[in-house]
Amino acid sequence: MKLTDFRAARNLAEARAILKELGPVGLPMAGGTSLVFTSEKDERVAVDINRAVPAGIARENGSYRVGPTTRLAALQMFRGDGWVLDRVAVRLATQQIRNMSTIGGNISRVFPWADFPVALLALNAAMVIAGDAERTLNADEFFDGQPARLFQPGELLMAVKVPALTAGQGFGYRKQTQTSAGFSLMTAAVFVEADGNAVKTARVAIGAGVPFPGRATGVEDLLKGRKASEAAFREAAGKGLAELKFKGGDGMSEEYIGHLAAVLVGDALNEAWVAAKGGAA
Amino acid sequence: MSRRSITFTINGEKKTFEIEPGEKLAKLLRRKGYVGVKEGCDEGTCGACTVIIDGHAVFSCILHAFLADGRDVRTIESIGDFDNPHPLQAALVEEGAVQCGYCIPGMIMSAEALMQEMSNPTDDDIRTRMDGNLCRCTGYEKIWAAVKKVAQTNKS
Repeated sequence: MKLTDFRAARNLAEARAILKELGPVGLPMAGGTSLVFTSEKDERVAVDINRAVPAGIARENGSYRVGPTTRLAALQMFRGDGWVLDRVAVRLATQQIRNMSTIGGNISRVFPWADFPVALLALNAAMVIAGDAERTLNADEFFDGQPARLFQPGELLMAVKVPALTAGQGFGYRKQTQTSAGFSLMTAAVFVEADGNAVKTARVAIGAGVPFPGRATGVEDLLKGRKASEAAFREAAGKGLAELKFKGGDGMSEEYIGHLAAVLVGDALNEAWVAAKGGAA
Repeated sequence: MSRRSITFTINGEKKTFEIEPGEKLAKLLRRKGYVGVKEGCDEGTCGACTVIIDGHAVFSCILHAFLADGRDVRTIESIGDFDNPHPLQAALVEEGAVQCGYCIPGMIMSAEALMQEMSNPTDDDIRTRMDGNLCRCTGYEKIWAAVKKVAQTNKS
Protein backbone atom coordinates (compact mmCIF):
# COMPACT_ATOMS: atom_id res chain seq x y z
CA MET A 1 0.00 0.00 0.00
CA LYS A 2 1.18 3.50 -0.76
CA LEU A 3 0.55 6.02 1.98
CA THR A 4 -0.58 9.40 0.72
CA ASP A 5 -1.00 10.89 4.19
CA PHE A 6 -1.09 9.98 7.86
CA ARG A 7 -3.16 10.99 10.84
CA ALA A 8 -2.54 10.40 14.53
CA ALA A 9 -5.48 9.59 16.78
CA ARG A 10 -5.13 10.71 20.39
CA ASN A 11 -7.92 8.50 21.69
CA LEU A 12 -10.50 5.95 20.60
CA ALA A 13 -13.23 8.46 19.78
CA GLU A 14 -10.85 10.41 17.57
CA ALA A 15 -9.61 7.25 15.85
CA ARG A 16 -13.16 6.18 15.07
CA ALA A 17 -14.09 9.65 13.82
CA ILE A 18 -11.05 9.84 11.53
CA LEU A 19 -11.65 6.36 10.14
CA LYS A 20 -15.34 7.13 9.53
CA GLU A 21 -14.39 10.34 7.75
CA LEU A 22 -11.78 8.59 5.59
CA GLY A 23 -13.99 5.60 4.74
CA PRO A 24 -12.31 2.77 2.81
CA VAL A 25 -9.18 4.87 2.26
CA GLY A 26 -8.42 4.87 5.99
CA LEU A 27 -5.93 2.32 7.23
CA PRO A 28 -5.59 1.72 10.98
CA MET A 29 -1.92 1.21 11.72
CA ALA A 30 0.04 0.34 14.87
CA GLY A 31 3.24 -1.51 13.91
CA GLY A 32 2.90 -1.22 10.16
CA THR A 33 5.07 -4.25 9.39
CA SER A 34 2.51 -5.97 7.18
CA LEU A 35 2.66 -3.14 4.64
CA VAL A 36 5.89 -4.67 3.37
CA PHE A 37 3.74 -7.41 1.80
CA THR A 38 1.10 -5.23 0.16
CA SER A 39 0.89 -3.66 -3.30
CA GLU A 40 2.05 -0.09 -3.83
CA LYS A 41 -0.88 0.41 -6.26
CA ASP A 42 -3.36 0.75 -3.41
CA GLU A 43 -3.30 4.33 -2.02
CA ARG A 44 -4.30 4.72 1.62
CA VAL A 45 -4.20 7.21 4.50
CA ALA A 46 -2.66 5.69 7.61
CA VAL A 47 -4.21 6.32 11.00
CA ASP A 48 -1.84 5.77 13.93
CA ILE A 49 -4.01 3.96 16.51
CA ASN A 50 -1.27 3.30 19.09
CA ARG A 51 -2.71 5.86 21.50
CA ALA A 52 -6.32 4.93 20.76
CA VAL A 53 -6.52 1.16 21.05
CA PRO A 54 -5.46 -0.73 24.21
CA ALA A 55 -2.20 -2.59 24.69
CA GLY A 56 -1.43 -5.01 27.48
CA ILE A 57 -2.53 -8.35 28.89
CA ALA A 58 -4.94 -8.66 31.82
CA ARG A 59 -6.61 -11.64 33.47
CA GLU A 60 -10.40 -11.44 33.11
CA ASN A 61 -12.29 -14.34 34.68
CA GLY A 62 -11.19 -17.48 32.84
CA SER A 63 -9.42 -15.67 30.03
CA TYR A 64 -6.67 -13.25 29.25
CA ARG A 65 -7.84 -10.02 27.65
CA VAL A 66 -5.16 -8.88 25.20
CA GLY A 67 -5.18 -5.35 23.81
CA PRO A 68 -4.89 -5.35 20.01
CA THR A 69 -1.87 -3.01 19.99
CA THR A 70 0.05 -5.36 22.29
CA ARG A 71 3.39 -6.08 20.65
CA LEU A 72 4.21 -9.70 19.94
CA ALA A 73 7.30 -9.30 22.14
CA ALA A 74 5.00 -8.61 25.09
CA LEU A 75 3.13 -11.85 24.35
CA GLN A 76 6.51 -13.59 24.20
CA MET A 77 7.61 -12.25 27.59
CA PHE A 78 4.31 -12.59 29.47
CA ARG A 79 3.92 -15.45 31.94
CA GLY A 80 0.68 -16.44 33.65
CA ASP A 81 -1.33 -19.52 34.65
CA GLY A 82 -2.68 -21.18 31.53
CA TRP A 83 -1.01 -18.67 29.19
CA VAL A 84 0.47 -20.34 26.11
CA LEU A 85 0.83 -17.63 23.45
CA ASP A 86 4.45 -16.95 24.46
CA ARG A 87 5.31 -20.16 22.61
CA VAL A 88 3.65 -18.89 19.46
CA ALA A 89 5.17 -15.41 19.66
CA VAL A 90 8.77 -16.48 20.18
CA ARG A 91 8.69 -18.52 16.94
CA LEU A 92 7.44 -15.59 14.87
CA ALA A 93 10.02 -13.73 12.75
CA THR A 94 12.74 -11.87 14.68
CA GLN A 95 12.96 -9.84 17.87
CA GLN A 96 12.81 -6.53 16.02
CA ILE A 97 9.64 -7.62 14.22
CA ARG A 98 8.15 -8.93 17.48
CA ASN A 99 8.88 -5.52 19.02
CA MET A 100 6.98 -3.79 16.19
CA SER A 101 4.14 -6.11 15.16
CA THR A 102 0.93 -6.31 17.14
CA ILE A 103 -1.49 -9.16 17.68
CA GLY A 104 -4.25 -7.02 16.17
CA GLY A 105 -2.27 -6.50 12.99
CA ASN A 106 -1.36 -10.17 12.80
CA ILE A 107 -5.00 -11.29 12.84
CA SER A 108 -6.94 -8.45 11.22
CA ARG A 109 -5.38 -9.03 7.81
CA VAL A 110 -4.44 -12.69 7.55
CA PHE A 111 -1.47 -13.50 5.34
CA PRO A 112 -1.06 -17.13 4.25
CA TRP A 113 1.78 -17.73 6.70
CA ALA A 114 0.14 -16.04 9.72
CA ASP A 115 0.64 -17.95 12.98
CA PHE A 116 -1.76 -16.38 15.46
CA PRO A 117 -4.99 -17.21 13.60
CA VAL A 118 -4.00 -20.89 13.83
CA ALA A 119 -3.31 -20.70 17.57
CA LEU A 120 -6.44 -18.65 18.30
CA LEU A 121 -8.62 -21.10 16.35
CA ALA A 122 -7.26 -24.00 18.39
CA LEU A 123 -7.73 -22.10 21.65
CA ASN A 124 -11.27 -20.96 20.75
CA ALA A 125 -10.36 -17.32 21.40
CA ALA A 126 -12.86 -14.49 20.96
CA MET A 127 -12.41 -11.13 19.28
CA VAL A 128 -14.19 -7.96 20.38
CA ILE A 129 -14.99 -5.41 17.66
CA ALA A 130 -16.25 -1.97 18.66
CA GLY A 131 -17.98 0.65 16.60
CA ASP A 132 -21.34 2.23 17.36
CA ALA A 133 -22.01 -1.05 19.16
CA GLU A 134 -19.72 -3.74 20.50
CA ARG A 135 -19.82 -7.35 19.33
CA THR A 136 -17.83 -10.44 20.15
CA LEU A 137 -16.99 -13.05 17.55
CA ASN A 138 -15.51 -16.45 18.27
CA ALA A 139 -12.42 -17.50 16.34
CA ASP A 140 -14.39 -19.71 13.92
CA GLU A 141 -16.54 -16.73 12.89
CA PHE A 142 -13.67 -14.23 12.87
CA PHE A 143 -11.41 -16.38 10.67
CA ASP A 144 -14.14 -17.63 8.32
CA GLY A 145 -12.54 -15.55 5.57
CA GLN A 146 -10.46 -12.37 5.71
CA PRO A 147 -11.35 -10.63 9.00
CA ALA A 148 -11.11 -7.25 7.23
CA ARG A 149 -14.57 -8.05 5.78
CA LEU A 150 -16.04 -7.70 9.27
CA PHE A 151 -14.95 -4.11 9.90
CA GLN A 152 -17.07 -1.13 8.88
CA PRO A 153 -15.40 2.31 8.67
CA GLY A 154 -14.91 3.47 12.25
CA GLU A 155 -14.90 -0.03 13.70
CA LEU A 156 -11.81 -1.31 15.44
CA LEU A 157 -10.66 -4.50 17.08
CA MET A 158 -10.68 -3.76 20.82
CA ALA A 159 -9.66 -7.03 22.48
CA VAL A 160 -8.60 -10.59 21.91
CA LYS A 161 -9.89 -12.90 24.65
CA VAL A 162 -7.68 -15.94 25.04
CA PRO A 163 -8.91 -18.72 27.33
CA ALA A 164 -6.52 -19.57 30.17
CA LEU A 165 -5.87 -23.30 30.18
CA THR A 166 -6.77 -25.19 33.34
CA ALA A 167 -5.90 -28.60 34.78
CA GLY A 168 -6.65 -31.37 32.33
CA GLN A 169 -6.19 -29.10 29.31
CA GLY A 170 -3.14 -28.83 27.10
CA PHE A 171 -1.85 -26.85 24.10
CA GLY A 172 0.50 -28.09 21.42
CA TYR A 173 2.16 -25.97 18.76
CA ARG A 174 4.37 -26.85 15.84
CA LYS A 175 5.67 -24.64 13.05
CA GLN A 176 7.94 -25.69 10.21
CA THR A 177 10.12 -23.09 8.53
CA GLN A 178 13.16 -23.21 6.26
CA THR A 179 15.10 -20.81 8.52
CA SER A 180 14.42 -19.88 12.14
CA ALA A 181 12.96 -16.51 11.17
CA GLY A 182 11.36 -17.72 7.95
CA PHE A 183 7.70 -17.80 7.05
CA SER A 184 5.81 -20.89 8.08
CA LEU A 185 5.52 -23.73 5.59
CA MET A 186 3.04 -25.43 7.87
CA THR A 187 1.69 -24.48 11.28
CA ALA A 188 -0.30 -26.74 13.59
CA ALA A 189 -1.93 -25.76 16.87
CA VAL A 190 -3.88 -28.11 19.09
CA PHE A 191 -5.99 -27.83 22.22
CA VAL A 192 -6.96 -31.02 24.05
CA GLU A 193 -8.99 -31.69 27.16
CA ALA A 194 -8.48 -35.00 28.91
CA ASP A 195 -11.12 -37.19 30.50
CA GLY A 196 -9.01 -39.73 32.34
CA ASN A 197 -7.05 -41.53 29.64
CA ALA A 198 -9.42 -40.48 26.87
CA VAL A 199 -9.68 -37.34 24.78
CA LYS A 200 -12.76 -35.41 25.87
CA THR A 201 -12.34 -32.60 23.33
CA ALA A 202 -9.76 -31.69 20.72
CA ARG A 203 -9.55 -28.50 18.66
CA VAL A 204 -7.04 -28.79 15.84
CA ALA A 205 -6.10 -25.93 13.52
CA ILE A 206 -3.61 -25.72 10.67
CA GLY A 207 -2.29 -22.88 8.54
CA ALA A 208 0.33 -21.81 6.00
CA GLY A 209 0.27 -24.95 3.84
CA VAL A 210 -3.46 -24.59 3.20
CA PRO A 211 -5.35 -21.84 1.34
CA PHE A 212 -6.50 -20.19 4.59
CA PRO A 213 -6.03 -21.06 8.29
CA GLY A 214 -8.81 -23.27 9.58
CA ARG A 215 -9.92 -26.11 11.81
CA ALA A 216 -9.12 -29.70 10.91
CA THR A 217 -12.45 -31.06 12.12
CA GLY A 218 -11.77 -34.46 10.57
CA VAL A 219 -8.95 -34.98 13.08
CA GLU A 220 -11.07 -33.66 15.95
CA ASP A 221 -13.93 -36.05 15.17
CA LEU A 222 -11.62 -39.06 15.10
CA LEU A 223 -10.22 -38.20 18.53
CA LYS A 224 -13.38 -37.39 20.46
CA GLY A 225 -13.79 -39.95 23.26
CA ARG A 226 -10.87 -42.02 22.02
CA LYS A 227 -8.26 -43.47 24.36
CA ALA A 228 -5.15 -41.33 24.06
CA SER A 229 -1.92 -42.73 22.69
CA GLU A 230 0.75 -41.59 20.27
CA ALA A 231 -0.48 -44.19 17.77
CA ALA A 232 -4.03 -42.86 18.06
CA PHE A 233 -2.84 -39.27 17.53
CA ARG A 234 -0.74 -40.22 14.47
CA GLU A 235 -3.59 -42.22 12.98
CA ALA A 236 -6.13 -39.43 13.53
CA ALA A 237 -3.76 -36.85 12.04
CA GLY A 238 -3.12 -39.00 8.96
CA LYS A 239 -6.73 -39.98 8.30
CA GLY A 240 -8.32 -36.72 9.42
CA LEU A 241 -6.24 -34.57 7.11
CA ALA A 242 -6.40 -36.89 4.10
CA GLU A 243 -9.27 -35.08 2.39
CA LEU A 244 -7.86 -31.57 2.78
CA LYS A 245 -6.32 -29.62 -0.08
CA PHE A 246 -2.74 -28.53 0.57
CA LYS A 247 -0.60 -25.93 -1.20
CA GLY A 248 2.77 -26.84 -2.65
CA GLY A 249 5.44 -24.39 -3.70
CA ASP A 250 9.08 -23.46 -3.15
CA GLY A 251 10.11 -26.88 -4.44
CA MET A 252 7.64 -28.73 -2.20
CA SER A 253 4.79 -30.79 -3.57
CA GLU A 254 1.24 -30.75 -2.24
CA GLU A 255 1.81 -34.34 -1.09
CA TYR A 256 4.87 -33.33 0.89
CA ILE A 257 3.04 -30.46 2.62
CA GLY A 258 0.16 -32.81 3.42
CA HIS A 259 2.60 -35.28 4.95
CA LEU A 260 4.26 -32.45 6.89
CA ALA A 261 0.86 -31.39 8.21
CA ALA A 262 0.12 -34.90 9.50
CA VAL A 263 3.51 -35.11 11.23
CA LEU A 264 3.14 -31.69 12.85
CA VAL A 265 -0.45 -32.27 13.97
CA GLY A 266 0.62 -35.60 15.46
CA ASP A 267 3.52 -33.93 17.27
CA ALA A 268 1.29 -31.11 18.52
CA LEU A 269 -1.32 -33.60 19.78
CA ASN A 270 1.36 -35.47 21.70
CA GLU A 271 2.66 -32.23 23.18
CA ALA A 272 -0.82 -31.07 24.15
CA TRP A 273 -1.68 -34.42 25.72
CA VAL A 274 1.49 -34.43 27.85
CA ALA A 275 0.57 -30.93 29.07
CA ALA A 276 -3.04 -31.95 29.74
CA LYS A 277 -1.79 -34.81 31.91
CA GLY A 278 0.38 -32.43 33.90
CA GLY A 279 3.63 -32.82 31.98
CA ALA A 280 6.10 -30.15 31.02
CA ALA A 281 4.84 -29.21 27.56
CA MET B 1 2.09 14.18 -1.76
CA SER B 2 2.55 16.74 0.98
CA ARG B 3 5.39 16.83 3.45
CA ARG B 4 4.38 16.72 7.09
CA SER B 5 6.27 17.42 10.28
CA ILE B 6 6.83 15.04 13.17
CA THR B 7 8.71 15.57 16.43
CA PHE B 8 10.60 13.00 18.42
CA THR B 9 13.57 12.71 20.72
CA ILE B 10 16.66 11.53 18.91
CA ASN B 11 19.64 10.54 21.04
CA GLY B 12 18.36 12.71 23.89
CA GLU B 13 17.56 15.76 21.79
CA LYS B 14 14.01 16.74 20.77
CA LYS B 15 13.86 17.54 17.05
CA THR B 16 11.26 18.22 14.39
CA PHE B 17 11.55 16.65 10.93
CA GLU B 18 9.72 17.14 7.66
CA ILE B 19 8.80 13.78 6.15
CA GLU B 20 6.92 12.23 3.24
CA PRO B 21 3.89 10.16 4.39
CA GLY B 22 5.40 6.86 3.31
CA GLU B 23 8.99 7.61 4.34
CA LYS B 24 10.71 4.99 6.47
CA LEU B 25 12.64 5.93 9.58
CA ALA B 26 16.00 4.65 8.28
CA LYS B 27 15.76 6.90 5.21
CA LEU B 28 14.88 9.90 7.37
CA LEU B 29 17.67 9.28 9.85
CA ARG B 30 20.32 8.83 7.18
CA ARG B 31 19.02 11.89 5.31
CA LYS B 32 19.53 13.85 8.54
CA GLY B 33 23.07 12.63 9.09
CA TYR B 34 22.58 9.62 11.35
CA VAL B 35 24.54 7.46 8.93
CA GLY B 36 25.53 4.92 11.57
CA VAL B 37 22.07 3.54 10.80
CA LYS B 38 22.95 1.12 8.00
CA GLU B 39 20.68 0.10 5.17
CA GLY B 40 21.08 -3.53 4.22
CA CYS B 41 18.09 -5.52 3.04
CA ASP B 42 15.55 -2.67 3.23
CA GLU B 43 12.85 -5.23 3.99
CA GLY B 44 13.15 -6.01 7.71
CA THR B 45 15.39 -9.03 7.48
CA CYS B 46 19.06 -8.24 8.14
CA GLY B 47 19.04 -5.95 11.20
CA ALA B 48 21.73 -3.51 10.04
CA CYS B 49 19.24 -0.65 10.44
CA THR B 50 18.29 -1.51 14.04
CA VAL B 51 17.51 1.45 16.31
CA ILE B 52 15.97 1.57 19.77
CA ILE B 53 12.51 3.13 20.16
CA ASP B 54 11.11 3.53 23.67
CA GLY B 55 13.59 0.89 24.84
CA HIS B 56 12.86 -1.69 22.15
CA ALA B 57 15.02 -2.69 19.18
CA VAL B 58 13.19 -2.22 15.87
CA PHE B 59 13.95 -2.36 12.16
CA SER B 60 14.05 1.30 11.05
CA CYS B 61 14.07 0.29 7.37
CA ILE B 62 10.43 -0.84 7.51
CA LEU B 63 9.15 1.41 10.29
CA HIS B 64 7.12 4.29 8.91
CA ALA B 65 8.76 7.47 10.20
CA PHE B 66 5.43 8.97 11.30
CA LEU B 67 5.08 6.17 13.87
CA ALA B 68 8.14 7.62 15.67
CA ASP B 69 6.25 10.86 16.36
CA GLY B 70 6.43 11.66 20.08
CA ARG B 71 8.73 8.74 20.86
CA ASP B 72 12.29 8.31 22.09
CA VAL B 73 14.68 7.13 19.38
CA ARG B 74 18.28 6.04 19.87
CA THR B 75 20.79 5.32 17.14
CA ILE B 76 24.34 3.98 17.24
CA GLU B 77 25.49 7.64 17.43
CA SER B 78 24.28 7.67 21.08
CA ILE B 79 26.39 4.70 22.08
CA GLY B 80 30.06 5.68 22.07
CA ASP B 81 32.89 6.71 19.82
CA PHE B 82 36.49 5.86 19.04
CA ASP B 83 37.87 7.74 22.05
CA ASN B 84 35.13 6.72 24.48
CA PRO B 85 33.82 3.35 23.39
CA HIS B 86 30.75 1.81 25.00
CA PRO B 87 31.54 -1.43 26.89
CA LEU B 88 29.81 -3.36 24.10
CA GLN B 89 32.04 -1.73 21.50
CA ALA B 90 35.16 -2.46 23.58
CA ALA B 91 34.11 -6.07 24.12
CA LEU B 92 33.47 -6.61 20.42
CA VAL B 93 37.02 -5.43 19.68
CA GLU B 94 38.51 -7.52 22.51
CA GLU B 95 36.73 -10.66 21.28
CA GLY B 96 37.77 -10.07 17.66
CA ALA B 97 34.09 -10.04 16.75
CA VAL B 98 34.22 -7.41 14.00
CA GLN B 99 35.20 -8.20 10.44
CA CYS B 100 33.60 -6.07 7.71
CA GLY B 101 31.63 -4.29 10.44
CA TYR B 102 28.51 -3.43 8.43
CA CYS B 103 26.19 -5.37 10.76
CA ILE B 104 27.82 -4.10 13.96
CA PRO B 105 25.77 -0.92 14.60
CA GLY B 106 22.60 -3.00 14.44
CA MET B 107 24.13 -5.73 16.58
CA ILE B 108 25.09 -3.17 19.23
CA MET B 109 21.62 -1.61 19.28
CA SER B 110 19.96 -5.01 19.75
CA ALA B 111 22.45 -5.88 22.50
CA GLU B 112 21.97 -2.50 24.17
CA ALA B 113 18.17 -2.96 24.20
CA LEU B 114 18.66 -6.43 25.68
CA MET B 115 20.98 -5.09 28.40
CA GLN B 116 18.50 -2.37 29.29
CA GLU B 117 15.75 -4.95 29.71
CA MET B 118 17.66 -7.86 31.29
CA SER B 119 20.50 -7.49 33.75
CA ASN B 120 21.51 -11.13 33.53
CA PRO B 121 20.61 -12.59 30.12
CA THR B 122 21.24 -16.26 29.46
CA ASP B 123 22.89 -17.52 26.27
CA ASP B 124 19.40 -18.36 25.03
CA ASP B 125 18.17 -14.84 25.82
CA ILE B 126 21.07 -13.36 23.84
CA ARG B 127 20.47 -15.58 20.83
CA THR B 128 16.70 -15.00 20.88
CA ARG B 129 16.98 -11.22 21.30
CA MET B 130 19.58 -10.95 18.56
CA ASP B 131 17.92 -13.33 16.12
CA GLY B 132 17.09 -10.42 13.83
CA ASN B 133 20.71 -9.40 13.25
CA LEU B 134 22.49 -11.20 10.45
CA CYS B 135 26.28 -11.30 10.08
CA ARG B 136 27.80 -12.84 6.99
CA CYS B 137 31.41 -12.69 8.25
CA THR B 138 31.84 -13.93 11.77
CA GLY B 139 29.59 -16.90 12.42
CA TYR B 140 28.11 -15.06 15.45
CA GLU B 141 30.01 -16.88 18.22
CA LYS B 142 32.40 -14.04 18.96
CA ILE B 143 29.62 -11.46 18.83
CA TRP B 144 27.57 -13.44 21.36
CA ALA B 145 30.70 -13.92 23.49
CA ALA B 146 31.23 -10.14 23.57
CA VAL B 147 27.62 -9.53 24.63
CA LYS B 148 27.89 -12.22 27.30
CA LYS B 149 31.11 -10.65 28.57
CA VAL B 150 29.44 -7.27 29.06
CA ALA B 151 26.40 -8.89 30.68
CA GLN B 152 28.63 -10.67 33.18
CA THR B 153 30.53 -7.46 33.91
CA ASN B 154 27.25 -5.62 34.51
CA LYS B 155 26.11 -8.40 36.85
CA SER B 156 29.27 -8.39 39.00
